[in-house]
Amino acid sequence: MELWNHCECPYPFVPAEVLDAADSVRASLPNRYCDPKIVAQLYDEVFEEYQLCDDIGLHIVTNEHHSGINNLWAASPVITGVVARITRKVRILTLGTLITVRPDPVRVATEYATLDVLSRGRLDIGFVKSGATEMTSGDANPMRIREREWEAIDLIEKALTSPDGPFSWEGKFFTHAHVNVWPRPYQSPRPEFWAATSDLPTCAELGRRGYINTLLFGGYDRTRLAFDTYRQARTAAGLPTPGEDRFSYMAFCYVGDTDEEAFRIGQKIPWFLTVSIKSAPQMSKFQPGAVAPDMAPAAWRGASKRPTNLSVESLIAQGQMFCGNPDTVVKQIKTFRERVGGVGRIIMMTRQGLVTHAEAMKSFSLAAKEVLPQLQDLPPVEARALSSVAE
Amino acid sequence: MMQIGPHALEVLERGPADAPLLLLIHGINPISPSAPFLNDLARTHRVVGPSHPGFGASPLPADFDTMYDLTRLYLGVLDSLPNRKISVIGFSFGGWIAAELAVAGHPKLDRLILVDPVGIKLGGREERDIAHFFNTHPDTLNRLAWRDPTRRPAGSYGVGWQATINDSMSDAEMVALARNWDSLCLFAWTPHMFNPQLKRWLHRIKAPTLVLWGEHDGIVVPEYGRGYAGLIPNAKFAIIADAGHHPELEQPAAFVAQVARFLQS
Repeated sequence: MELWNHCECPYPFVPAEVLDAADSVRASLPNRYCDPKIVAQLYDEVFEEYQLCDDIGLHIVTNEHHSGINNLWAASPVITGVVARITRKVRILTLGTLITVRPDPVRVATEYATLDVLSRGRLDIGFVKSGATEMTSGDANPMRIREREWEAIDLIEKALTSPDGPFSWEGKFFTHAHVNVWPRPYQSPRPEFWAATSDLPTCAELGRRGYINTLLFGGYDRTRLAFDTYRQARTAAGLPTPGEDRFSYMAFCYVGDTDEEAFRIGQKIPWFLTVSIKSAPQMSKFQPGAVAPDMAPAAWRGASKRPTNLSVESLIAQGQMFCGNPDTVVKQIKTFRERVGGVGRIIMMTRQGLVTHAEAMKSFSLAAKEVLPQLQDLPPVEARALSSVAE
Repeated sequence: MMQIGPHALEVLERGPADAPLLLLIHGINPISPSAPFLNDLARTHRVVGPSHPGFGASPLPADFDTMYDLTRLYLGVLDSLPNRKISVIGFSFGGWIAAELAVAGHPKLDRLILVDPVGIKLGGREERDIAHFFNTHPDTLNRLAWRDPTRRPAGSYGVGWQATINDSMSDAEMVALARNWDSLCLFAWTPHMFNPQLKRWLHRIKAPTLVLWGEHDGIVVPEYGRGYAGLIPNAKFAIIADAGHHPELEQPAAFVAQVARFLQS
């Protein structure tokens, strides 16, 4: 079992009255509300957290979102390049450049190859379909993004694994007459690929390709269904049974000395869901492609789904948070692993919302020292019949 | 249904079979069978209104997602209709299609009427000519699109329709709106609602042209319309008072009167 630290470098410093008055805290909140001096301090703090992780054996996830209070890693390759140089040992997952927003996957492949060399082969590459406010921020057509994502992945993979280029690409979404990425990646044939999705047809395709499937806040049932779909697709394709290292799960996480302390600090994390995802209807439920037309009545008739109050207890119960003293967290993760049929990489979202630098450093230290050792050499998850999963 | 090569199109038809043919090219949603101008137009014309691929009940073929596709499709529609002369009315987004069609040229194209069309870029690079259909709050769009949103006829939906979603609507109505919206986005997300090349070719339009504009259109303002008309040889420009982006829905009598006068002239 591996533990990974995922921090989006949020910016919880915009006055509540501004956020309340705005119809969206992403994409359209003017950047006059973002103080670059505060951001510089946040960058220093989170990079220090990453250096701690490097020392104690927690791997690191970077990602990107744009134009909002939830994430200051907007220029992801720049940030990941810094991480590559301030760490020496742990793996770095970029989860990732938003390839459905970027016009040129070859440039993305070049950035990834460069990062792999900079980190001397410690890079993992993660793909996300993205959507919603990111399509607005990136001025990217929100329609057909799944097809666009797959074509971008295919082009990036070929660019990273073609030592005898140049080659030509004339696809539906991207054309490039002369692809020849220098440097080539440090790892051969290429860095590990991940994708973040709970979309079942996509999980099946990940299974056939052998990419790592990670879910974000999927909870027990959705995650189980996704992983079963992955496993079943491999079986159907005559491919070997996947190991637990093919499965990853991201959840809120806080490890404290005591359950009481962890719950108190952990309660600062759901800000991510209660505040930082507020977005205007044209960038969410009414954005083209946001829901399949057949699902529109259900999506449109319902009130806003954004929760305004989430307790640590309810998040733990849903398998969306691991929180407590080290033994409590170990127990929660083991239970989760059993219930989803095995998972080898837990991504902890800890420095999130209103959690401070000092609080994050403490949780990471406890996670590495007290939690991680108890998650090694676990007995195989008891085999259970795969639930019936439609492809 | 109408078949254009491999493409099947749902078609709204109204009026005597032997009357002069009037092709309606719809905007962001297909023309409602209950649209308040239809019967008046159909007194003197055979009115034919296909639904674009991906709109209404028309299938959306794989990879059919550009204005190039739509223009060729409507050239095919003109080919397939039996009449020797066909007049065309294009509304909003459909006005853009109609302008592209007229620039491409077709021997059957008789007269052209553009109603609050989008499709060209007139202002500077930091001026937005066309309110952003997809990135603007529905309440704002609804306000910009209508002189008085309460005048929207039942069954018709204009720009900003999302602001009028309510529980009395049927699921089928919502599914249709969602599908139309998705399809519109394929064709028009970027550049948003215009073809950078179109402006320089409007001079090729040979058909007598009338450009109609709602006096209070806040989606594309009348000044844009005057500029548009000025680029089409000998085009007439007329304002429809007390209307927004959809004068055919908000002032159907004035709209029909303008159309009738132009087609008879």
